[in-house]
Amino acid sequence: MAMSMGAARRGKPKIRPPKRPTSETPIKDTWTKLANAIREIQNHNASKLSYEEHYRYGYNMVLHKHGDQLYNGVKVLISEYLDKLAEEKIVPTFPRSGGTRGAGKLGGGAEAIERALEGDRFLKAMKSAWEDHTGSMRKIRDILKYMDKGYSTANGLPLIYEVGLTLFLQHIIRSIKHPIHTHLISTLLSQVQLERDGETITRSTVRECTDILLRLNVSEREGGKTVYVTDFEPEFLKRSSEFYGLEAVEELEKGDAAQYLRRVERRLAEEADRTVHYLSTTTHPALQELLIANLLTPHLQTILDMPGSGLVTMLDSNRIADLRRLYVLYLKVPKDEGKIALRSSLRNDIEERGKAVNQGNSISERSETGAAEAGPSNSSKLTQDQNGNDGIEEENDNTGGGKGKGKAKAISSSPTSAGNALNSALKWVQDVLELKDKFDSILETAFMGDKQVQVSINEAFQSFINANPRAPEYLSLFIDENLKKGTKARSEDEIESALEKTIVLFRFLSDKDKFERYYKNHLARRLLYARSASDDSEKQMVTKLKMEMGFQFTQKLEGMFTDMRLSNESANTFRNYLNRHGALPIDLSVNVLTASYWPQPIVATTSCTFPAALQPSMETFQKYYDSRHSGRRLTWQGNLGTADVRVRFKTRSHDLNLSTHALVVLLLFEETKSGESLSYPDIKSLTDLPDSDLSRTLQSLACGKFRVLTKIPKGRDINMNDKFEFNESFTSNLQRIKIMQVSSNKPENSKEREETQEMVDEERKHQVEACIVRIMKDRKQMTHNDLISEVAHQLSTRFSPTMSLIKKRIEGLIDREYLERTNDMGSYRYLA
Amino acid sequence: MSQEEDFVLLESSDGYTFVVTRRIAEASGTLKSMLDEEANFEEAKNKTCKIQQRGVILLKVIEYLAYKVQYAEFNAEDIKEDFSDRIDPYIALELLTAADFLEA
Repeated sequence: MAMSMGAARRGKPKIRPPKRPTSETPIKDTWTKLANAIREIQNHNASKLSYEEHYRYGYNMVLHKHGDQLYNGVKVLISEYLDKLAEEKIVPTFPRSGGTRGAGKLGGGAEAIERALEGDRFLKAMKSAWEDHTGSMRKIRDILKYMDKGYSTANGLPLIYEVGLTLFLQHIIRSIKHPIHTHLISTLLSQVQLERDGETITRSTVRECTDILLRLNVSEREGGKTVYVTDFEPEFLKRSSEFYGLEAVEELEKGDAAQYLRRVERRLAEEADRTVHYLSTTTHPALQELLIANLLTPHLQTILDMPGSGLVTMLDSNRIADLRRLYVLYLKVPKDEGKIALRSSLRNDIEERGKAVNQGNSISERSETGAAEAGPSNSSKLTQDQNGNDGIEEENDNTGGGKGKGKAKAISSSPTSAGNALNSALKWVQDVLELKDKFDSILETAFMGDKQVQVSINEAFQSFINANPRAPEYLSLFIDENLKKGTKARSEDEIESALEKTIVLFRFLSDKDKFERYYKNHLARRLLYARSASDDSEKQMVTKLKMEMGFQFTQKLEGMFTDMRLSNESANTFRNYLNRHGALPIDLSVNVLTASYWPQPIVATTSCTFPAALQPSMETFQKYYDSRHSGRRLTWQGNLGTADVRVRFKTRSHDLNLSTHALVVLLLFEETKSGESLSYPDIKSLTDLPDSDLSRTLQSLACGKFRVLTKIPKGRDINMNDKFEFNESFTSNLQRIKIMQVSSNKPENSKEREETQEMVDEERKHQVEACIVRIMKDRKQMTHNDLISEVAHQLSTRFSPTMSLIKKRIEGLIDREYLERTNDMGSYRYLA
Repeated sequence: MSQEEDFVLLESSDGYTFVVTRRIAEASGTLKSMLDEEANFEEAKNKTCKIQQRGVILLKVIEYLAYKVQYAEFNAEDIKEDFSDRIDPYIALELLTAADFLEA
C-alpha cells in the first residue's frame, strides 16, 4: 500500500500501536496445523481449508523467524508426497519392455500396437502425476505466498514452486528408488520409433511428457539446462542416427535414386513435423543435420551415380521434379559438399553428352571426307557446271576488283555433295544448342538458376566444345547458314534467336581468333556473292561480336561492310562518270576492297591475263578510279567475280552466268575455229591463271552438268595433257544457264584445314610477340613466370597460347634483341 | 475474474461485513489467491473472506483497493489525488501491517 507517512499529521499525536500479530498458538502447533493443511491440499481437499487461516500461519511463522523451519518442513512434506506418488501411480504402469535400449525396429503388427499402448499408459501416468503435483504446488505456493515474499527471496532461496519442480525431478524423474528415468526415456524413444515405423501413437501424451522434461531444469551445477536437453535429446539423437544410418543403407540397396530422394524428403518433413508436434523445436536443427549426415552426406556420389535412376537418367528423361528435389536436398548438405558433388557429376555428364555429340559428328564427318577425297582432285569446292560454247557475244557483265576483286551476281547453288559435310557441321552446332537449351531449362526449373551450378554447366560446355577442333569453323558455318539467302525461309526473330544462341556458344570457344578467320571468310563470300539475307541481321551479328569481344575484334569485319557500301556508292558515281565520258563496251561493276580487311585467300594477288575484250572496260574504271583517289593501287581480282555472257551455239543462244575466270577461259575459244582445240598448257600460258584455279575453272566448263567445252580425252579429272575445244553442239532447254564453280561456304577438307591452322598459328606468333613487347615495354623488366602468365592472360580472350609457343616467341625476341636476359636467372629486360 | 457483477463478502474481525466487487477485492494479492476458484479454498467456495482486522482498517483497505483499481491504467503524473491525504495517522501503522498481509 503506497502511502506516505508524512502526509497527514493532524489531530492528537496519540497513535495506537498496531496489534502485535503474535499468535496465541505456539509455533509448534502452528506448524502442525500447516503441515496437515498441506497434506490435505495434496489429497485434493483444499476446499475444506480456510486460505486466510493458513496463510496467516505461514505469515506468523515467517514473522517469528521460523521461516527456515517452515521452508524445510514443506520440502520434506513434498518429497514424501512425491515418493508416494511414484510408488502408487507410476511404478505399476512400467511397460513390460522395461529399459531395453538399442536401435532397430521394435517389431511390428500386434506387438507394436501393444507396445504403443503400454508406452502410452506409462506416459499418461507420468503426465497425471505431473499434473497432480503441479496442481497442489500451485496451491501450496498460494498459501505460502508470504513465505516466498518474506523468507525465500530474502534469503536467496528458490521459490517454493520451483522447489516443488526440482523435487519432482529428484523424486520422480530421476528417482533413485525406481527406474523411472530409464523407463521414461526409453518409452519416449520407442514411441518415436513406433511412429517412424509407421504405427500410430498418441502424440499428445508424448508431447505432454516432453513438455515436463522441457519445463524442468537440472541444477546449476549440471549446467542449468532443461532435462530435455541433458537427458533426452542426446539419447534421442543417438538413436535417430543409428536408425537412419541403417535405413540409408537399406534404401540404397533398392537402387532407385529418385525414390530414395523422395524418401529422404519425406523423412525430413516427418522429423520436422515431429519436432513441432511433440518434441522441442530446439531439437529441429540438430535432428535435420543428423538426417542429412546419415541419409545424404555419405551417399552423395552413390545416389548421383545410381545406374538407371541417378543423375544421368533424370537428365535423360528431363525429370524436373526429381532434379529439383535432388538439388534442394543436396543444398542442405553442410560445407557445400552436396553442391560440389552435384556440380562435378553434372559436369561429367554434360561432358559425356558433349563427347557423344562430337563423336556423332566426327563419324559422319569421316564418311563424308572419305567420299569427297575419292572424288575429283579439286575436292572441296562444290561445283555445279555446264558446258557449251560458241562465239562470245554481247554484253558481258564483267568483273574485276581493285585492290580486291570483282563483283558478283547472286548465285544460289544448293550444297549437294559437300552438303553432307555441311550438314554434319550444322548438326553439330544444332546438337550443341539443343544440349545447351536442355541444360538451360533444367538450370532454371530444377536448380533455381543457381549461379555456381551454371558455372559448372558452362565449364562443361566449354570443355567439350573446345575438344572439337573444328568448333570455330562449324560455328561460323552455322551463322553463315542462318544469314545467307536461300536457306529455309526464316523470320527475323528466328534468325535473331539463332544468332543469340550462337553467341552463347561463341563465348565458350577458346580459339576465338580461329573463329574470326572463318567468319571473315564466310562473311566475305556472303558479301561478294550478295548472298546475305539481310544487312540488318549481318550488322546485328557483328554488333553482338563487338559486344563480346570489343572493338578490335570486329574492326576488320566492319571494314568489310564499309568497303561494300563504298563500292555501291562508287558504282553510282561511276555510272555518272560513264554518262559524261561515253558508255563502256561491256558493262562492269566493281567492288573495291581494302586488302587488309579481307581474308588473305580472297585478296591474295592472283595472276590472270584478262582478255582484250575486257580491257577497255577495265581501263575506263582504272581511269575513273585514279581520277577520284590518288596514290591508291588497284589490283584486279577475278577469283570471286561473275559474268553474264550470251553464247551462240549451233542450235540457239544461251545466256551463261559464270565466274570471271571461266569467262576468261571461254573468251579464248572465241578465236578458235570449229574443231580446233587448245591444250591445257596453251590455256595456262594465255590466261596466266594458277594451276589450281585453272583446273577448277576448266572442270566447271568441261566436266560439269553443262559442258560448254569438250575435254579430250573425256574424264572427270583435268590433266596437264588434256585438250579442250568449244562444244558447238551444246543444247539445253534453259535459256539462262549458270555455270558456277562458286563454292558456297562449307566445311573445309583436311588439307584446307591444315592450311587454315598454319595461318592461324602464324598469326598467333605475331600476336604473342606483339603482346610480349607490349607488356615488356610497360614493365621494362619481368620474371619469366610473370611474363608468361601475363601473356597468357592477355591473350586468353582470343585463344589460349601454349607455354612452348610463348617461350619460343621470347627466344625469338631475344634473338632479335628486343629483350635480353638479366643476370639473375629467369628474368628479362626490355631493350628500347 | 473481473466480472463487475461478481461480488464477494469481506468480514472484519469485529463483525463488519463489506460487499465489494471481485475486481476490487482481487487488487489484493492475498485476496486474489484466497478467492482463486481453481485452487478452490473454503473462501473461494463461500465467496466470503474473514480478515483479521478491525472494520475501520478494512474499510480503508477497501477504499484503497478501489482507488488502485480506478487509477490502474493511469500514468503516475496524471493522478491528481493523493491517497495519503485520506489516511488518518491514527490508523497508519495498523494499516501498514494490514497492507503487508494483504499484498495490497
